[in-house]
Amino acid sequence: MDWPALTVSLTLATLTTLVLLPLGLALARWLAVTPWVGRPFIEALLLLPLLLPPTVIGFYFLVALGQGSPLGAWLVASGIRLVFTLEGLLLVSVLVNLPFMVQPIQRAFAAVPHSLREAAWVSGLSTWQTFWRIELPLAWPGLLAGMALTVAHTLGEFGVVLMVGGNIEGETRTLSVSLYDKVQGMDLQSAHVMALVLVGVSLLALTLVLAFDRVGQRGRALQER
Amino acid sequence: MSGLQVQLYSSSPIRLQAEFDCGAGELVALVGPSGSGKTSMLRAIAGLWTPADVQGCIRVDGQSWLDTAAGVHLSPQQRRAGLVFQHYALFPHMTAHANVALAAGPGWSTADVQALLKRMGLDALTQRRPAQLSGGQQQRVALARALVRVMPTPSSAKASPTPPAVPGVLLLDEPFSAVDAPTRQTLYRELAALRQQVSVPMVLVTHDLAEARRLADRVVIVDAGQTLQTGQPSRVFASPRNARVAELVGIQNHFDGRFYKDKPGWARLRWTQAGGGPEAIDLTVVDKNKIDDGTPVTWVLNGEQVDVLADASTPALGDAGATRLRCRLVEVLALGEISLCTLTPEALPAQSITLNLTTRLLERLQVDAGGWVQLLIAPGALHIMPVRETLA
Repeated sequence: MDWPALTVSLTLATLTTLVLLPLGLALARWLAVTPWVGRPFIEALLLLPLLLPPTVIGFYFLVALGQGSPLGAWLVASGIRLVFTLEGLLLVSVLVNLPFMVQPIQRAFAAVPHSLREAAWVSGLSTWQTFWRIELPLAWPGLLAGMALTVAHTLGEFGVVLMVGGNIEGETRTLSVSLYDKVQGMDLQSAHVMALVLVGVSLLALTLVLAFDRVGQRGRALQER
Repeated sequence: MSGLQVQLYSSSPIRLQAEFDCGAGELVALVGPSGSGKTSMLRAIAGLWTPADVQGCIRVDGQSWLDTAAGVHLSPQQRRAGLVFQHYALFPHMTAHANVALAAGPGWSTADVQALLKRMGLDALTQRRPAQLSGGQQQRVALARALVRVMPTPSSAKASPTPPAVPGVLLLDEPFSAVDAPTRQTLYRELAALRQQVSVPMVLVTHDLAEARRLADRVVIVDAGQTLQTGQPSRVFASPRNARVAELVGIQNHFDGRFYKDKPGWARLRWTQAGGGPEAIDLTVVDKNKIDDGTPVTWVLNGEQVDVLADASTPALGDAGATRLRCRLVEVLALGEISLCTLTPEALPAQSITLNLTTRLLERLQVDAGGWVQLLIAPGALHIMPVRETLA
């Protein structure tokens, strides 16, 4: 078992989820209730990481941050290193995980009947109070589902990690990358353990997602009764 | 100026021409078919809907909630509108008590909210969530949540025996449509009792004429975004202003015709075949000098004021001014004590009159479907309206 790799994986998963939660919440709420002609394009953009090979994302990331690009040059001049660092890995992980966080939350907000917002307004609640006291408690299962999916997906990410983070022990070598190394080195015993950990975590996360979804559905059923 | 005044005009996204008012403690029903704009009018009062090009004003107890001329447009939060939504829109994650407490202002303590819920017969259910309540109970919670927005705060009520009136309105959007019939009867009674205690303007939206007639002090007939007629239910139902109102309030027996002046004080109503054939019947009516000679009109025959006589009967002295009309009884639908009868005049066989006759009367006249009777139509049984101006 490669403990430093497990630590990197868990750190990356936790940080990705924490950074993505407020970002995803804001995006999801906006997409769920704002009628706008450009919305499908934004939604397609958010879903793109699901379809693109991770290598494509990793490649563009490297190009954008490499010394050849203005952004990369500026970063080097500022002393910020993103390629082959945990920070860089976090940045790309946040981008790749956007659909996993945004989708469930957006669905949860869209499922809150608009009449409840209106009822809150005529009851004297401001838009902000309505969000905190009515919408967020009702969309809560969607938030939990988004978080569980993000954690599971970050732990399992391989291609992007390898391209952007490289394979630096204790810094960017995650569990899935370490697993690849072990198989290459014919250390199947260690590979088995790590594969099992990844399977277990993913299964747990998916179970939680489905359980939260059921809670959400029950909530909606109550409103329709 | 107390009470609610509404004057709204717009042309998009829907055409709106709404003019009505509602005094403090009065209950006004907006009645019309679905899609007529009555709910939009209610939502406009609450501030939940504003057409882009709206002109006009909404005033409550002299306070402007909307005044396009003065640039006033209060948000829903700033208006004190207690709105009962059609499906109640209770917050599903909160208890009945929390639903009401959320809408209560700072003048309401937990005990005050509890007392209100007790008055609504909900004291045993305050800690239940909406899903654990029946439809009627949910409706009462929704009503309580709307009431706390418009009732004087209990603290101010303690301070003076006559608490200052809150400039608010109670708005009810088809509040009885989602409950079963027995519950509805109970809720009707409760609404009537509530009116003794709360004196704010109340506006009820309904498509149910019987409900409007039963609950409202005045009805406003709404069609295609326009308020067509306002008045006491009995008056509007007895004398609709035009053919469309007559149709909307469900009046049977309305026909086309033309109005001709006769000897002073009297006129002839010429009832013609639909499509304009040569056949016609002249009915004697009273000339109130409101309609010009030769005007096309629509008219309503009030079946309750028509006498049905045996075909063999001969004109009598008391008939003066009344028109005799020989009719064939085409169809008789016995509905217990009442039979729904369809009759066609001999001179205008393409027209048909619907009358609710007692089964006893039919037995006495010894007439069945296919037989003949005579109708004695007094001038008072006819209500004549000019043809409704076509809308531009």
